[in-house]
Formats: sequence, structure tokens, C-alpha cells
Amino acid sequence: MELRINQKTYEVEADADTPLLWVIRDDLGLTGTKYGCGLAQCGACSVLVDGSVVRACVTPVAGVVGREVTTIEAIEADSVGKRVVAAWVEHQVAQCGYCQSGQVMAATALLKHTPNPSDAQIDAAMVNLCRCGTYNAIHAAVHDLAAQQEGA
Amino acid sequence: MTHSRFARTAGWLALPCLVAAGLLAWYVTRDPASPFEAEQAARFDPALVSRGEYVARLSDCVACHSLPGGKPFAGGLEMATPLGAIHATNVTPDRDTGIGHYSLADFDRAVRHGVAPGGRRLYPAMPYPSYAKLSDDDVRALYAFFMKGVQPAQQANLASDIPWPLNMRWPIALWNGLFAANTPYAAKPDQDAQWNRGAYIVQGPGHCGSCHTPRGLAFNEKALDESGKPFLAGALLDGWYAPSLRADHNTGLGRWSEAEIVQFLKTGRNRHAVVYGSMTEAFNNSTQFMSDDDLAAIGRYLKSLPGDPQRDGTPWQYQAESVAAKLDNPGAHTYVTRCASCHGLDGKGQAEWMPPLAGATSALAKESASAINITLNGSQRIVAAGLPDAYRMPAFREQLSDREIAEVLSFVRGAWGNHGGAVGAQAVGTLRGHTDPASSSPIVLHMR
Ligand code: FES
Ligand code: FES
Repeated sequence: MELRINQKTYEVEADADTPLLWVIRDDLGLTGTKYGCGLAQCGACSVLVDGSVVRACVTPVAGVVGREVTTIEAIEADSVGKRVVAAWVEHQVAQCGYCQSGQVMAATALLKHTPNPSDAQIDAAMVNLCRCGTYNAIHAAVHDLAAQQEGA
Repeated sequence: MTHSRFARTAGWLALPCLVAAGLLAWYVTRDPASPFEAEQAARFDPALVSRGEYVARLSDCVACHSLPGGKPFAGGLEMATPLGAIHATNVTPDRDTGIGHYSLADFDRAVRHGVAPGGRRLYPAMPYPSYAKLSDDDVRALYAFFMKGVQPAQQANLASDIPWPLNMRWPIALWNGLFAANTPYAAKPDQDAQWNRGAYIVQGPGHCGSCHTPRGLAFNEKALDESGKPFLAGALLDGWYAPSLRADHNTGLGRWSEAEIVQFLKTGRNRHAVVYGSMTEAFNNSTQFMSDDDLAAIGRYLKSLPGDPQRDGTPWQYQAESVAAKLDNPGAHTYVTRCASCHGLDGKGQAEWMPPLAGATSALAKESASAINITLNGSQRIVAAGLPDAYRMPAFREQLSDREIAEVLSFVRGAWGNHGGAVGAQAVGTLRGHTDPASSSPIVLHMR
């Protein structure tokens, strides 16, 4: 089947029910997206599909055929993603970093749909787990971004 | 004088009582007739044995008579009954602990009439009220399989936990007389062969009604075939709501095509639902092994059973719902953070892999047991054609409180046109206790 990932077209051979995460990491070698739980519980595997965040471990690959997938490798090609990464650097959010590609994805999707989210909206969207406990830094970074104007 | 008249009267009264008692004793201990009485099952040709194996698959014997990791058909499964636990027995051909000494007629009486050699009545946890409809040919084949296709295993049966006097078995004979069928399935001449085959499997070996037909006061299935309106109309059992298999729009198969029924029974999933709860076992061990013709017959027969709009309620229709605008609703909030990755913000699931919650039976039935149970305990592994499933419902027992589960289920059962109704935290708490393997009163989830 043909997949569109990070503005490129890939031809992959996989069963329809293969989790998108396996295809991204094992078949295509894009290992920036992480495997945490495989059960939609942690968010480490978050990617964007048509600009919305999905958990790749519970996304059958057949479901993204004909749609645009974005992974952490290409997130800075997106203007919102670029701002998110800059805020992450500024706030020095990452500790071990394992969960952070997923966190960046979740923040990017939130700000794409809701440029100036309320704290409640931030809390509802930023639910990925972080074993290092960087939640305060994440919240501060997203809070900053929420106050910015697009393009600022 | 008075004395002797009294004695004479008493004598006249005692006589019919004695006769009645004698008749009763005969009735409750008698061996029902078997057409195989005179038959010496001498030859077991391999074709008959393999046909018997197929009948055993249709009948899902393994679900109760085997334990995971145990020897096939050596018994042992504990089944909770209102009176105490009973255990499925060893049905391997071992002569001491199994059924190796059974004649074909003995076997027939046990399978179709629930009577073991010596007149001992089986508990109707063995679905003989359904197996009564098995054809003579299928019983003969089944016997051949159990005698020659199954390895004998020496494993003594476990005694039941039911205390005296409730453990007396003879009253079951009276129950049988009232509630159990006692003749094999007779084809309906006004229906074609496919319909009749479907009816045979559903009512007989498949014993679908054991879970899907509501039960009466005596724990009897309220109907054993399509002549009764309650037949397969949906029932609450073992902490699950087994949905209607009639053409009910909301709680039944009204929105399913025959092909979708076949797909569900063959692969465990279709665009409406994925097997879960007790049906996982029926799928893993039985329905996926049925031939395509037999599955088509089942689909055909089930689709011929009319629904009951009065019982079923207003027909469900999808209604778009902006979950994101409802984040101040705690149930919607939990849905977005815990459920939406798989089931979608739109409630539509992902093709046949993750079931939709919009229009799901568990969100439309007024019985909320299935919705609560699956959320607390997750789904069991589905193994289709030897391959385990890629996606499973995780258990939220440790992650969400009774209140949180009640809130999120109330949200789901009211979103996207669903109208199953709110769920209370108390109902969640009750089921949490009953389905906790560490509790002293667990519902044993594998009853049939
Ligand atoms: S790996 Fe996908 S949510 Fe944890
Ligand atoms: S930074 Fe280590 S898990 Fe989040």
C-alpha cells in the first residue's frame, strides 16, 4: 500500500491491521516516534494524521492510506511545530526525552486546532505520560505558546 | 368401629399416595429411551470421527470440558450457579474417570437428555435442553469422536460445592419435564434447507439461547425456538448482557446484513462490533471453525427472526457531537483522554479493528453490565485463524474510579444518538466487586 509520510510517498507491504507505529519504526526506520505501551495509554507513539494527533500503536495502517502523516522527524517543517520545538528548547522541557516526541506532537495538534487554548483545553489535550515527570515544564511551554500570536 | 373406618379410609388414601410416590420415583430416576439402545457402536471409521470433531466444534464442548493448559476434555472448569459451584466433568474416553465405559445409548442420554448412567441427572449448566435437538447422526458422530478422537486422560471429577439437600439431583428430572426439549430438531417443511440448517445449529449444537435467551423464574430459557418471542431476545448473564440476535434495530442484528453476521462469526469482527466478553470464547473455540455454508445458514436463520420495536425502543440514528466543546463534562473529558485514541472523537471507531461506540449495543441496551464489565476488565485475547488480535481493550479497573467509569459510560451512552441511559457509580462498584478475581464472590466469567 502507498503511504504519505512527511511529504514523501512510501510503498510498504503490511497487513491491513498492522499498527502504523510498526510500519513507521520497523519498516521505514523512522525511529523518532517511540513505543511505550502499545495500548493507547501513554502517548509516546503520537503522530499527526491530517494535522490531528493519533496514537500510532492503535492505528491500523490501512486507516491512514490517502492521508498525510507527520512524524517528529519532519515536525519543524510545520510552522506551528517549529514554534513548539523552539518553546521546548527554551523551557528545556526534555529530561530523558523518551516521551517528548509524543508530547511535541500533542502540543502541535492542540495549537493547530486551537491557537489560544485555555488551561482546561491544555489539560485535556496534554495527557501523554512522562516517566521523568516533566509535566510542569510541558505545561509552562504550552502556556507560553498559547499566549503567543500565530507568526509572532 | 370408628377406628377401623379410619384405618380403612387412611388405607384408601394411602394407596394413591403410594402409587403417586412410586410413579414419581420411577419418573425422576428412569433412563430415558434412546434410539441407540440396540446399537453396538462397533466401527469408528475416520470420516465419522472427523465429522464428530466438527459437531464438537459446533457444540463448543471444549469451552467447558477443557481448562487452558489442561488435557483436552479432562474437565475441571468451575461454573458458578446460584446454589454453589459445580465443575465440568472429564469426558475423555478414560474408563475410570472419564466416559470410556459409556455405550452409545449412555452417551446419547447424557448429551440429549442430561441423564448419566444410573439415572443421575446432570445440572442444566450442561446445555442438554439445546443438545436435545441434535440429530441421531450427529450424536453418533460425536460419540465416535469422543471415543476415538480424544486422548483418554485420568483425572478425577471434582465434587460440587452445593450443600445437602440442595444437591439432590432428582428434582431436575421434573425441571426437564417442564422445560427441556426431548426430540431432535424437525425440519420445517415450509422453509428451505439453508434456513433449516441454520435453525438446527442455532437451536441445537450452537446452543446460542443458553446466553442470548432470557431466563424465567426456574432459570429456564423462556423459549427454545423461533415460535417464542423471547427466543434470542437478549439476556443478562454472568455480568454480561448477551444482546438480542433478532432483527432489533438497537439491541439486535437489525442493522447487520447476513454477510456481516458471517464475517463476525468467522473473523471475530465487522464494522458494527468486535467479539468480547463470553462471546470471545465462543468465537475462539467454536464459531470460527464453522464452515462457510453453516455460517451462511446461521446468518440466514437469525435474519428471519423479527425484532420487537416496543422492547427495542426508538431506532438509533447517528448524531454528530462536538466532544471538544463539552470538556467541562467530566465524562466527556475522560472520553477524550482515555477512549478517543481508539474509538474516535466521533465515536465511530476504526473500520472493523476498533469497534464504534456510536450505535453499539452496549450503549443502547438499558442493561449496562457489558459496558461496565468491558471498561473494568478489558477484553480477552481474540485468536482468529491462529493469529492473536493486534488491538485489545485495556482494563481500566486500576486507573479509573467507580465514579469516573460511571461518568464516562454515561457520556458514551448518551452521545452520538445513543440512548442507553446513565450509569451509576454503585452499579460499577458492584460489578467491580463481582468480577475481581481476588474477591470471595466473583462471577466466574466462563460459564458456558
Ligand atoms: S505506545 Fe502508543 S500510546 Fe503508548
Ligand atoms: S522526559 Fe523522560 S519520559 Fe518524559
